[in-house]
Amino acid sequence: MSILVNKDTRVLIQGITGRTGQVALRTMLEYGTKVVAGVTPGKGGQTTEGVPVYNSVHEALKNHPEINCTAVYVPPAAAKEAVIEAVSNGIKLVNLITEGVAIQDTVQMIRYANIYGARIIGPSSIGIVSPKQCKIGVLGGIKDDTDKIYTPGPIGVISKSGGMTNETAWVVRSAGLGQSTVIGIGGDVILGTDFVDLLRMFEKDPETKGVVIFGEPGGTYEDKIAEAIKKKEFTKPIAAFIAGVFAEKLPHGTQFGHAGALIENGRGSPTEKIKALREAGVLIAETHDKLGELIKGAI
Amino acid sequence: MRLYEFESKQLLRKHGIKVPIGILSTSAVSEMPFDDVVVKAQVLSGGRGKAGAIKAFSNSAEAVNFTNSLLGSLVLKEKVKSVLLERKTKTKEEFYISFLYDTDSQLPVLLLSTRGGVDVVELAKGNLVKKPIDQLLGLKEWQARDAAVDAGFPSELIPKISEFALRLYSVFLEEDCRLLEINPLSLTEEGELVAVGALIELDNDAGYKHKDRVYPPRMIGVGRELTDRELSVKQVDEADYRGSVKFIELGGDIGFLAAGGGGSMAAMDALILAGGNPANYAEFSGDPPKEKVYALTKAILGQPCLKGLWIVGAIANFTRVDQTMQGVVEALREVKPKYPIVVRRSGPYEREGLQLLRDVGKELGLDLEVHGSEVSMTSTAKTIMERLK
Repeated sequence: MSILVNKDTRVLIQGITGRTGQVALRTMLEYGTKVVAGVTPGKGGQTTEGVPVYNSVHEALKNHPEINCTAVYVPPAAAKEAVIEAVSNGIKLVNLITEGVAIQDTVQMIRYANIYGARIIGPSSIGIVSPKQCKIGVLGGIKDDTDKIYTPGPIGVISKSGGMTNETAWVVRSAGLGQSTVIGIGGDVILGTDFVDLLRMFEKDPETKGVVIFGEPGGTYEDKIAEAIKKKEFTKPIAAFIAGVFAEKLPHGTQFGHAGALIENGRGSPTEKIKALREAGVLIAETHDKLGELIKGAI
Repeated sequence: MRLYEFESKQLLRKHGIKVPIGILSTSAVSEMPFDDVVVKAQVLSGGRGKAGAIKAFSNSAEAVNFTNSLLGSLVLKEKVKSVLLERKTKTKEEFYISFLYDTDSQLPVLLLSTRGGVDVVELAKGNLVKKPIDQLLGLKEWQARDAAVDAGFPSELIPKISEFALRLYSVFLEEDCRLLEINPLSLTEEGELVAVGALIELDNDAGYKHKDRVYPPRMIGVGRELTDRELSVKQVDEADYRGSVKFIELGGDIGFLAAGGGGSMAAMDALILAGGNPANYAEFSGDPPKEKVYALTKAILGQPCLKGLWIVGAIANFTRVDQTMQGVVEALREVKPKYPIVVRRSGPYEREGLQLLRDVGKELGLDLEVHGSEVSMTSTAKTIMERLK
């Protein structure tokens, strides 16, 4: 088992002929991901790496009704419309890889996704891996490296940092464990899918016995984990590492006497996040490399 | 990006929001433009009032002295480069209003209070109204009215406040703000609403919609001018759009070079926990060309009093280890450091990249230890600390 993506996932790539879309396409095909179609307006009728290209999501779905997930690789200014196009055509899972999406656009696309009952992972997501079943994005790089890090197993992995997603999956692997599903949720202010959304899914996944989390400063998403645990929405063990404690001690830490500090209600700093998580029973890794042993000891 | 108060007010004025008449002074003054004047140091950090950097005067000589003493001084660890001299607003009452993005509701929210001129965190303990705004509907007049009612505004003020909220929300959207805060919002004796205090944070990611914007680059609260080394790294970074490099000097004795934003934070935490005193923070990401990594490494190695160097990175997805390490190798070849160096990096072309380092280590007789993914990333913080003993 796994969450979000599995062997039955059939992937559309929006922005398939762009530079990053091409790299992702090749990496995903090499891993065995079923990429069945791509969209680039004006390039319909072409094929790339054997995958047909269409002018629109509607046209792609007409020819490949089995599509159940889209990976979005369009430039930031086009991301909002690309996501709305996908969800309004009925695609329920959107992995938005694009970085640098305007916050106003993110908020709007999430509202549309909610209306259509779709889920957005991202923006700025590094991708999703359910080992040996499906990989969206470039996680792990080439197949040999991906196979070294990712193997089926009982641990769910959720990371805000794209660059640390491999490493977090790797400390789990180094502890002799595999992963059920590994998700890069992105580090933007507004996230399509946050830790708690995914914890609820991992709770229902019988294969997942515990979850490992990489968190960062800012926002309230880590704090919401503590609230979800208290409400018994998630009952399996969690090991978490929250990066950025050092930044609080730097001489140039900025005091925010404004609404940003208020809205987070004192919850934005890594120290506060760690405190809230620890009180809720989450195992806190003081250094990142301890995550694997911590979760191993808990499951 | 956060705007200075005077920049925020320029933006508001452009949209027809009333702000006090003011003059920005960047050099010493000999007289005041107004009899009743408010002198406000222009720094980016919050809490200027409490720090004594905002004062009202009715005596021109005192105001002149205060202005001149502010210019060039440090306020909240930030050098004051300009001072805003504003005509004092004849205020009857002060309120609070802001718009920002809320991570709980994943929506923009309106915050409103009948108490202004106080820190918003203080306000939150009392009657501060928070209204999430559905961005598909926009802010409706009746929602703004509801917020004003809930905040406890008297009936005769409610149309005025709700109309102001709507106008401010359109500025928030049109200018792609992350935060637009008016504190205090003054109700004048003439019955006008004036934005006496203003703070705007723009969404950098929406910059492509506002190509006409020209704000000079800024670092919040660094509290000092950039060093020559920091400046040189910044210039190299800005000269090439591929990848990015960041460098901040911290004054310790261990050179630090990390890959990736999240990775560099995790590594800094591990180094400090292991008892290390980092000389700097440095990070490269997004598969930068070797020239950028070279310039960054040179800046790190150029710091005095280094006792060790830690080069650290996660298992990269697509940043090539060989290309980025080539930049490190070139800098090492020039500087030939005598102190211990510990490297941990993995990812595409790891074998080639790490071999480059081992080769230059052997060639120059460096005290160099190189690891790939066989050891975990943050555990090598202890390795460098042990090598320093």
